[in-house]
Amino acid sequence: MDNSYTLIFLICLVLGLISGIIMHRSDFCIAGMFRDLFLLKRTVMLRMLLLLVAVSMLLFELLRQYGTALYPFPPTGSPSLATIIGGLFFGIGMVLAGGCVVGTLYKMGSGSFLSFISFVGIISGSLLYAEIHPWWAAFVKRTTIFKGSVTIPQIIGIDPGVPVFVMMAFASYLFFRWYKEGKWERPSHVSGYIQPWKTAVFLAFIGLVSYIAVGKPMGVTTGYTKLGAYVENFLFKSHLDGTALFKAMSLNYVHPLTNIRMQGGAGPSFDVISAIELPLIIGIILGSAFSSCLLKEFRLYFNVPYKQYISAFAGGFLMGIAARLSQGCNVAHLLGGLPILTGQSIFFLAGLFPGAWLGSRIFVNVVMKKGGQRS
Amino acid sequence: MSVIKYDICGQICPSTLLIALKEINDYSQQLMDGEVTLAFYTDNRDAVTTIPESAVNMGYKVNVTKKEKCYMIEISGGQK
Repeated sequence: MDNSYTLIFLICLVLGLISGIIMHRSDFCIAGMFRDLFLLKRTVMLRMLLLLVAVSMLLFELLRQYGTALYPFPPTGSPSLATIIGGLFFGIGMVLAGGCVVGTLYKMGSGSFLSFISFVGIISGSLLYAEIHPWWAAFVKRTTIFKGSVTIPQIIGIDPGVPVFVMMAFASYLFFRWYKEGKWERPSHVSGYIQPWKTAVFLAFIGLVSYIAVGKPMGVTTGYTKLGAYVENFLFKSHLDGTALFKAMSLNYVHPLTNIRMQGGAGPSFDVISAIELPLIIGIILGSAFSSCLLKEFRLYFNVPYKQYISAFAGGFLMGIAARLSQGCNVAHLLGGLPILTGQSIFFLAGLFPGAWLGSRIFVNVVMKKGGQRS
Repeated sequence: MSVIKYDICGQICPSTLLIALKEINDYSQQLMDGEVTLAFYTDNRDAVTTIPESAVNMGYKVNVTKKEKCYMIEISGGQK
């Protein structure tokens, strides 16, 4: 088992490194895609997200048809209305933090000190969630609908290939139209720029490799919670020992290709979460740092308005809690659940839009109230 | 012509763009009259794409130069 976990660790580290490099080069900020829709009425990057979701949808469906994938993949459960609340808070948090849970990683890697503050906020938020986990888990159970079904095709009782085919037809038309209108290429003056559409396609394939190699697409937030658990274990071990979240096994499945049982949770021990999510976190940070250094752009700046420090921490903190409230972050939901049409991810998205709108309002009216510095 | 410099390195997204847009609007008359050039120093790669995009759409001239560890975006003379 240790050897297989080591192999998984290395695979995820490589996937993280590649993701970090290409996300840094394209500034593939998912938080920004939603925020700019409301703040600047700009949809250019949201188009890239649609491409990423559509390509992932196609690849995941092909994998399912081929019969080598867990469908639906773990740890997704039946849809709970509580996820909308999680999505709402996540939307506010990612705008205030200036990046989602993955955006925070690649921005931190490229030298953003504020993203490091968000990173600390995410871990802190995850730890606070651990305190309310039993109560929230009961609430999730009470608000779960369509028990026993996870995806929309399962709920309405059709073959998953049918909605995928319909959506692919619609997406192809839309994407071709945007191609004819020249809306895929984005002019940029930055060094080493990778067109975001290329990164979108690449990330979809990275998701596919992850799905094949570890049995599920990428996710990082249980990894954040685990990092927090290591810290709490060091400082307040007796409290951590009595916390239910850290005893739970949120992942427990058999890998379809190798028949290896994959088990792990947020507790401070080396398990499948450590083998999957921690190397992704480390990989994205290092990949982005490498890319940034290669372009001679890595530099730390501390002299920023104090409100932005508060915003970064508060945003990260909200994301940390919200990712657990909605049983997954934006990456798990938008790049994993949405392509296979899970009810959970659709509820998350339903909360994310108003959350991003609200976050944008708070950012402009509170954080930006006094503007920036002039020299 | 005077050059007004803004050091907005290290700031959270999207404050870089919002600050630039506000300053461009505040100095729109002087920019159009060719009296000032605004020079924004930023390390935010996204802003190096979005600020010129917005300024060009508003009818200004844009020049981007890579400096040591950051970019300088110069906005000048309107064509409106």
